[in-house]
Amino acid sequence: MLTTNNLTKTVKLPEQSLTILSEVSLTVNEHDSVAIVGASGSGKSTLLSLLAGLDTPSEGEVELAGHPIHKLSEDERAAVRAQYVGFVFQSFHLLPGLTALENVMLPIELKEDKNAQTKAKELLEKVGLAERLNHYPHQLSGGEQQRVAIARAFASEPKILFADEPTGNLDTANGEKIIDLIFDLNQQLGTTLVLVTHDDRLAERCQRLVRLEAGKVIEDSVNESFEQAKTAETA
Amino acid sequence: MRGMAWRLFKRDWQSGEVKVLFFALMIAVMAMVAIGTITDRTHRAMGEQSSEFLGADYTLRSPRPIEHDWLEKGRSDGLELTESTGFSTVLAKGDEFQLVSVTALGGKFPLKGEFEIADKPFTRGQTMQAQPEQGTAWVEPRVLAVLGAEKGDTVDFGSIQLTIAGVIVGGPGQASEMFNVAPKVYINQADVERANIIQPGSRVSYTLFIAGDIQSRENFIDWVKPQMNKTQRLTGGKEGTPALQASIERAETFLRLASLISVVLAGVAIAVAAGRFSRRHYDYAAIYRCLGMQIAQVHRLYLSQLIIMGLIGSALGVALGLLIQQVIIVQFADFLPKPMVPINWAPVIAGGLSGLVVLIGFALPAFFQIARVSPLRVLRKEMVPQPVSSWLIYLLAIFTMALLMWWQSGSLKLVGILLAVALVAFVIIRLMAWLIFKVGLWIGKRGSTAVRYGLGQLKRYPAFTISQVTAFGLAFIIMLSTVLIRSELLNEWQSQLPEDAPNHFLINVQPSEVPNLESILAEQNVETAGIYPMVRGRVTGLNGKPIEEAVSEEAQNDGSLRRELNLTWVENVPNANTVVKGEWWNDAGQPDEDGVYQLSIDQNLAGRLGVDIGDVFEFSIGGVDVEGKITSFREIQWDSFQPNFFMIFEPGALNENMATYITSFYLPAEKKPTLNTILREMPTVTIIELDAIMEQVQTILDQVTAAVEFIMLFVLLAGIAVLYAVLQASKEERVLSSTLLKTLGAQTKFIRMTLLSELALLGIFSGILGVIGGEVLVFVLYQEALDIEPVLHPWFWLWVPLIAVAFICLAGWWGLKSLLKQPAHQVLRQL
Repeated sequence: MLTTNNLTKTVKLPEQSLTILSEVSLTVNEHDSVAIVGASGSGKSTLLSLLAGLDTPSEGEVELAGHPIHKLSEDERAAVRAQYVGFVFQSFHLLPGLTALENVMLPIELKEDKNAQTKAKELLEKVGLAERLNHYPHQLSGGEQQRVAIARAFASEPKILFADEPTGNLDTANGEKIIDLIFDLNQQLGTTLVLVTHDDRLAERCQRLVRLEAGKVIEDSVNESFEQAKTAETA
Repeated sequence: MRGMAWRLFKRDWQSGEVKVLFFALMIAVMAMVAIGTITDRTHRAMGEQSSEFLGADYTLRSPRPIEHDWLEKGRSDGLELTESTGFSTVLAKGDEFQLVSVTALGGKFPLKGEFEIADKPFTRGQTMQAQPEQGTAWVEPRVLAVLGAEKGDTVDFGSIQLTIAGVIVGGPGQASEMFNVAPKVYINQADVERANIIQPGSRVSYTLFIAGDIQSRENFIDWVKPQMNKTQRLTGGKEGTPALQASIERAETFLRLASLISVVLAGVAIAVAAGRFSRRHYDYAAIYRCLGMQIAQVHRLYLSQLIIMGLIGSALGVALGLLIQQVIIVQFADFLPKPMVPINWAPVIAGGLSGLVVLIGFALPAFFQIARVSPLRVLRKEMVPQPVSSWLIYLLAIFTMALLMWWQSGSLKLVGILLAVALVAFVIIRLMAWLIFKVGLWIGKRGSTAVRYGLGQLKRYPAFTISQVTAFGLAFIIMLSTVLIRSELLNEWQSQLPEDAPNHFLINVQPSEVPNLESILAEQNVETAGIYPMVRGRVTGLNGKPIEEAVSEEAQNDGSLRRELNLTWVENVPNANTVVKGEWWNDAGQPDEDGVYQLSIDQNLAGRLGVDIGDVFEFSIGGVDVEGKITSFREIQWDSFQPNFFMIFEPGALNENMATYITSFYLPAEKKPTLNTILREMPTVTIIELDAIMEQVQTILDQVTAAVEFIMLFVLLAGIAVLYAVLQASKEERVLSSTLLKTLGAQTKFIRMTLLSELALLGIFSGILGVIGGEVLVFVLYQEALDIEPVLHPWFWLWVPLIAVAFICLAGWWGLKSLLKQPAHQVLRQL
């Protein structure tokens, strides 16, 4: 689903150039869930932006759903995103000018799907906001806004969902709900999940854990507790 | 996508995002439609009015009868045409004779305006458009006085007799012919042949009066013009009132400038507001891009919003503009020409369209910027789009301004000058803003705590501060210069035509009658502008050579050399005259050793003839040769309504016995009977009544004044839009810094003081900039565009900064106070 090869990002500063990410090679399989963890400034967000095609690497390759996105133009990458990718952000990033329903409809409409409204309503029902379809973001609480954002992320039926600190702006109770929601939907819809987080509860729920330090992968492990939970489930 | 653009527009409207942009656009369109429509209507109505002076829209004068096919063409074009024949002849009654200027009318007259025909001189009469019936004549009052006749009497006219059917007390103005010595008589064309009065060799002029709707008459004029020869003369439009022309042209220049300025100001407001709009939409655009929208789609989304805004804003602007112009026309009906002509849709459509042009020219670069934002901004807030080349922004704005200026003014020269001035001015203004800021910082170091904190705020983002001072300063410069130019124009007009400006001329006063006249006027407390002797003479030579050889071919055709001039002598420089070169005589009456007397000449005439101080003119005066040596040039205020002379001699040069005297004075309506006394005692004196014309002149000046007054309001409104847009655009920074202060534990009182001090300092800086820039601009405009003597306006040096401080503090505080009351975290969430 997602492969990187020697992914490197350097930024030129007036004095020297700074390497934010150095030779990261990863492979994420379909239906995987991967947590990228690490201290602030370790390069997590940069890696996420490269994986999702929001930015281009200085060196190395990224292949997303078979597309070599490091070679593509802005618009071509946008087309790949529209086709395969969903996003959930720390600060929700809902469009304040649109209602909850309209926000969720947007990515579906971008795919020129005629049933945008029906699909968006279904998703909002799934995240428990059936009563708040016509509310504007500022009329919703933080947790509710993030639920709308999650509905929007799944609206385009993405093959892969990127989440950047999805619980970062929420209190514990709401954070829990959001985590449940992401994983439930992930399972229902068979999406691949890549998330960047500080939140141990969130990282624990993923199959795989990639730890970054100073731009390098220092750990890439299968999550034991996840394996245990899985085994327990099958048993 | 369009549905989404509409939804976003609605939402942005509800949240106040686009309001400033929208209102600035509306003001621009409103100003253009209202100014355009009112000036157009007033202009056309004034044209109608000046046609009344002429008696028609156009007159075509020819020494030979008007071509037959011209008449046919004119009639087939649907024009109203009246032919007339003009000549001088003598009317006689018994032993009395009077030289009169006859106009024989071939149809009804005047085509524009009306005759007022009375039974007795100096009374009110009946108004009409007509021609005298065959065998009758309408005469000016003087004719009756000289011939001792009254209505109903018959007078000899060539080989026939005419009955006096009425006295002309009002009619087409003859301002340009006020020194036409012979009184006017109107008769029927048919009587000309019957009287057998025109002989071969008689000096006759044929005039065709033309009236009709604008399209047909302009068509006809375009058709006839190329066929006219040099001896034929076309007069029309404003030329009917030469004394007013300068004032009207000046007013039109002012109106053109003012409407341009309000549009450009609105453009600036739009640019500022669009910049703010686009900065606030980077986040949204990043989300769209992140969700997979193509750049072109984002462009389309925002362009659609821009177009929606443009269409609605323009439509509302047009509607409001029309409403306002109607209100003004009704409100100012007393001052405006009557009857008011209907709306012409061209300026309305132009105003509406130019709203879209302004919006695109000033807002497009900022809107174009939005889609260029990187989708990475969703993760990194600091990502802003690569700025569009600032050259591109400026070029587009300048191009738009040039287009609008050209559209509004129709004068490429004016556009060129304004653009060049604007460019240079912008650079200078920015430099001055920087300088004022630096000086302010330096002085403010010693100020109170509040001042120092305010300065501290401004110092943190110096470039931003200088931009704000520049924008505010620009608005103040423009508003100030509009106000100043307006008051100067109004002063100028009022002083030009004071309440007691002379409204009657007396000519042909015999030297022996002067003492009697003086005593009659003194008895009635009537003050004259001086009683001047007048001798008619022809210029025959210059510096010993015949005049035809002494001056250029062009100068030979000058009217002053082709006819007899009115010459006078005085001891002191007359009022309304200023010596601009050479020296006035102070030992009047003493010829030089060659026996030559001194001569003072109009400076414009001197320029046309190419003569200088020291040149000697020779005149033939009643068969006697007289020489005069030029010792001074005078600038003459021709529209002063007092006797003015191209050439003035030193006393002693001319023969007193050959002179008649001329004077002018102001006579209020209730003293009109004095004229009868004068005519009774001095029947040969000619009275020229200008009061009716003066009244019309005053009315036109009032109208122009009213137009100038309300157009200034639009400029002020557009200026306020700029101030508001800039305050709005800088609001976030202000809220953010005060919220941070609040989070850090600052007292509300302290925050209020800091903010007010910052706003007040901005006001002081931009007010000072406004005063300096405004004075400079006005100085240049007075000299270059309006031909007014430049002066400084110290009174405003205090007022403008004070008003600037008051406005910026009030408006700035008003926009902030609700946000300051909210808890810090709520404010931060809204940013």
